[in-house]
Amino acid sequence: MKGKHFYSHLIEIHEIYLSLSEMDLSDEERGHLLSLTEANIHTTVINTVLPQLSEEDKKVFLKNLVANNHEETWKHLLGKAQGIELKIHQSLKELKEEFLKDIEEAKKV
Amino acid sequence: MPNQKGNSQYKVLVEKWTNRHKNLQSELFNKHQDAFKWLVDNSKQLAVGSLASIFLLASPAAAKIPNAISSASAQVSQTIDRKVFLVYDLKNVLPTDVRPLTADEEKNVSEVLTRDFNIPVSAELDGKRLNTTYGLIGQEQHLPRYPGDNIFNHFDNQNDSNKYWSYGITPGLGAWGYFTDSSGALTQTDIDREKYYIAVQTFLAPGFDTNTKEYTDFFRYRKMLVVNPQNGKAIVADIADAGPSPWTGKQLGGSPEVMNYLERVDGAQRGPVLYFFIDDPNDTIPLGPVQY
Repeated sequence: MKGKHFYSHLIEIHEIYLSLSEMDLSDEERGHLLSLTEANIHTTVINTVLPQLSEEDKKVFLKNLVANNHEETWKHLLGKAQGIELKIHQSLKELKEEFLKDIEEAKKV
Repeated sequence: MPNQKGNSQYKVLVEKWTNRHKNLQSELFNKHQDAFKWLVDNSKQLAVGSLASIFLLASPAAAKIPNAISSASAQVSQTIDRKVFLVYDLKNVLPTDVRPLTADEEKNVSEVLTRDFNIPVSAELDGKRLNTTYGLIGQEQHLPRYPGDNIFNHFDNQNDSNKYWSYGITPGLGAWGYFTDSSGALTQTDIDREKYYIAVQTFLAPGFDTNTKEYTDFFRYRKMLVVNPQNGKAIVADIADAGPSPWTGKQLGGSPEVMNYLERVDGAQRGPVLYFFIDDPNDTIPLGPVQY
């Protein structure tokens, strides 16, 4: 599995980048906002995943996560958490909508 | 330079998104503290391939923006940052494998390139497009510009000669024949067209077979923005040859000067580039490297 994270295939956030690019920001400010976006996405995904797992499976998941083994992480999740793909997709969709809404509101400031 | 309004907008977003992250963090660590405690206790025994995953969880991601820096270093910083941002932007809209882009992907990439380079680009122009806009680029030789042009008289200066002599000159002609009739008629436009040329698979363009003349006229010296998505380097090139053959596994070729600037090589280390048509009806965009 290619990608930066095991869930990279479940979210497309270029709309956020493009929306931020319409604002009058310095490169440093834009980079900072992008890193905040990434951190929020990551934490949201882990927050969605962990409640679906048993205590033992949480350990396996975190072990795979820190080993950066995307394929193993995903394989383990699919076997242990029913419908996890849909749940992550839905969480990220909602987060993306909130971010886009935040950006639109900020543009009115 | 962002104005005060932009700065206020930035602060609003930083506050909102930092708070959101803190709340998510608290929820996560409170609900699953046993699992995280186990992770910390056993971290020495685990194969930690990357700390990025955990760093993103733990980091408040609210590092302060560097304070005022000198104008000279700001200029350098700005140049580096723009390339970094382009690479970052493209990484998020390009597929992980090299393949023809979907219509949505092409739209996203052309928006990024048009915005970052301030050059209007598109995958399709006048209803015509190539077989792909994202492909592996191979090394081409120099093209003879006029009858009698050869590797000994091809270069303007010794530096270019030393740098590009070894690539040789093709025994045949480019797809459009000689660039001009004689050395005496050679113009700077001809020199640049050969220097910054690319070869693309015109013969695989949708519609080429049924309207060969029209398509050939369209492709002849057509300007394209060619971008190495892995280092952010871009060059305005022109189509001066047709190729390479599909069996090579490559989708286009670049002159020695194009390849050198983009830092692309042929063979096992070959890599992809993006190539989009430039909409330049008044011929105002010069060929050659695009400076940030």
